[in-house]
Amino acid sequence: MHMKGNGDQEPCFFLKGLQPSLYVELSHKGFHREVVTTVELGSETPADVRALLVYRWPRDVYVDPYQVASLSHQRGWQMLFNTAIDLEEPAHRTSEFSTYVFPSHAGPTPNPLKVTIPIHGRYHKPSFDGKTFTPVHIELPELLLWTKKCTPFQRLEPHTVLDAPCTASNTSICSWVKIQNPNKNSVPMSLHLPVGDGSTVRLISTGTLVVTLICCVVLCHSMLKHQLR
Amino acid sequence: MMMERLLSALTEKRVLFPVSFVVRLALVVYGDYQDRNMVVKYTDIDYHVFTDAARFITEGQSPYNRSTYRYTPLLAWLLTPNIYLTVVFGKLLFIVCDVLSGLLIYKLLCLRGVGCQTARYVSSLWLLNPLPMGVSSRGNAESILSALVLGTLLCMEVRRLAWAAALYGLSVHMKIYPVTYALPIALSLRSSHTETNGTTQSWTWRTPVAFVGSFLNSKLILFASVAGGVFFTLTALFYYMYGWVFLHETYFYHLTRRDIRHNFSPYFYMLYLTADSRWSQSLGLAAFLPQLILLLVSSWTFHPDLAFTCFLHTAVFVSFNKVCTSQYFLWYLSLLPLVIPHLTLSVKQGLGLLLLWFAGQAVWLAPAYFLEFEGYNTFFLIWLAGLFFLVINSFILVQIIAHYRSRKSLERQKAE
Repeated sequence: MHMKGNGDQEPCFFLKGLQPSLYVELSHKGFHREVVTTVELGSETPADVRALLVYRWPRDVYVDPYQVASLSHQRGWQMLFNTAIDLEEPAHRTSEFSTYVFPSHAGPTPNPLKVTIPIHGRYHKPSFDGKTFTPVHIELPELLLWTKKCTPFQRLEPHTVLDAPCTASNTSICSWVKIQNPNKNSVPMSLHLPVGDGSTVRLISTGTLVVTLICCVVLCHSMLKHQLR
Repeated sequence: MMMERLLSALTEKRVLFPVSFVVRLALVVYGDYQDRNMVVKYTDIDYHVFTDAARFITEGQSPYNRSTYRYTPLLAWLLTPNIYLTVVFGKLLFIVCDVLSGLLIYKLLCLRGVGCQTARYVSSLWLLNPLPMGVSSRGNAESILSALVLGTLLCMEVRRLAWAAALYGLSVHMKIYPVTYALPIALSLRSSHTETNGTTQSWTWRTPVAFVGSFLNSKLILFASVAGGVFFTLTALFYYMYGWVFLHETYFYHLTRRDIRHNFSPYFYMLYLTADSRWSQSLGLAAFLPQLILLLVSSWTFHPDLAFTCFLHTAVFVSFNKVCTSQYFLWYLSLLPLVIPHLTLSVKQGLGLLLLWFAGQAVWLAPAYFLEFEGYNTFFLIWLAGLFFLVINSFILVQIIAHYRSRKSLERQKAE
C-alpha cells in the first residue's frame, strides 16, 4: 500500500488538486426513506485513499442498526453509531445522533461511490396549530479522506483535520482530512412527516369512548341474553 | 361430487396431518429462497429478533441485549439450536407446534361430542388455512402459545387437572393474555351449589360467603398451586438469571405499553393525541374498563363451556385492547374451530361474517398504507377505520353468541 511516485514530495499534495464532490438525495415517500449519497473523488486519487462519511441525524428520524447490519454485506459499506438507537420512541423523547459510514473502497475507481442509507421517521407530538405536517431538516454529510502516507499537519487549506475512528470496528482513532465544501446540493435535505391534529382531541376522545361504550353495552346485553344456564 | 370426494380424501386422518406439515415445510424452504434472492423478505423481523437473542445466550449474555426482544428467555433458550444447528430450527419448531395445535383441535372436537368426520373438516380449517401457515413459516412464535392453550383446554376436558394447570402456568409465563382465563377456569372448577328450584334465592349474609366458599375446593386449590408453582418457579429462575430487565421486558412493558404508532386498536388516535397530557392516565383507565367488564360478564355467562368462554375472552380482549396488531388475531382464531360446530349459522352466513371481518381490516389497511408509505396525513381516516373495525368485530361476536348452541342445550333439544 505505497503511494506511487511522489515519494519525497508532500504526501498530501494530491489533496490540493482534488475536487471531490458529494451529492445527496432523498428517495421514497412517507415514513420510510432512503438517503442516497454519491461521492466523486476524481481520477487523480491515489489507490490507498479511504473515505468516511459523517452524518449528523436529527431526532426526527432514526436508522435501524439491525437493518443496516443485514444490509451492509450486500451494499459494501459499514456503519458505526455513536449511541444506542431506540427504535420506537417518539421524536421528543430522543436526541440527535451521528453515524460514521465507511465505504469499502475509495481509491481510483472509475465509478463514483454510492451509499444508500434507509431511514425511518419517528412519530411526533400532535400539532395544535392546525399544521398537518412537521418539517424535518437533515444536514448534509461531511466527507473525510485518509491516506497512509499523508501526515496532514500542514498546508491543507481550505481543508481541516479531524480525528475519527479508523474503521467501523472502532478500535483506533485516525487523523482524517475533512474536505471543505464538497457539496453539490444547492439546498439542504428536508422532508415532511404527518402529525396528529391536537385540536381535535375532544372530538376524538369523546367519539372513541362513546363507540367503545356502546359496543361494550351491546355485547354485554347479548351475553346476558344468551347465557348458558 | 368430485370436490366432495377430494375433500373427503384430503381430510382423512392419515392424509390431513402429513399434508399440512409438508405444505408448511415447503413454505419454510420457499421462505429461505425468497430471503436470499429477493428484496422483500419472507421471514418476519421477529424471527431475527429471536435468533439474535439466542445468539446472545450462546455467548453467555442476556437475551435482552437485543433491543425489542420482549419475550420470555425460555423462547431464546428454545431457539439456541438456531445458532448451533441451523437457522431454520425455530421455524421447524413453530410449524410442528402449528400442526400439533390442529391435532389438539381435532381431539377436543371429538371430546366435545362433535362427530369425528365433522371434527376433521373443522380442524382442516386450521390445518389447511393459509393464515396460520404463513405466520408459523415466517417465524412467529404464536403457534407455541396456541398449542399450550389448546393443550390446557384438552386436559381440562379430560379432567387431568395437574397437567392442565402445568400447561396453563407455562402459557401465562410465555404471554400474559391467558391470565384472563383464570376466572372462567376458577368458575368451572368451583363446587356447584344446590339449585333452589323455582323459588327466588334470598340474599342473606350467607350468600356471598357461600359464593366465596364454593371456590375453596380441592380441585381448584390443586389447579392454582400447580399453575402458580410453574409460573413462579420460572419467573424466579429467570429473575435470578437476568434480573429486573427480564420482568420489565416480558411483563411490565406489555402491561403499560402505550404504543402511539398506528395500529388496529380503536383507542390508538385518542392515546396518541393525549400521550403527554394530564388526561393520559384517566383515559387509559377508561379504556381498560370496557375490557374488564366484558371479561367478567363473559366469564360469568358462559363458564360451563370453557372453550367458548376462552374464545370470547380472547376475542374481546384483543378487540378492546389499547394496542392491537394482526398477530393478536391468531390468539382467538386458534380457538374458533372449537366454536364453529356449535354455531347454527349457515355456511353462507358464516362466509358473510368472514368477509365482513376481512373488509374491516382492508378499510383500515388502506389509510394506514397511505400514511406510512406515501406520507399522507390520514390519521382521522385511520381513527374512523379503527372504530369501524371494532363495530364489525362486535357485530360478529354478537352473531356468534346468538347462534351458539352448547353441547348441553343440543342434548336437551334432542331429548325434548
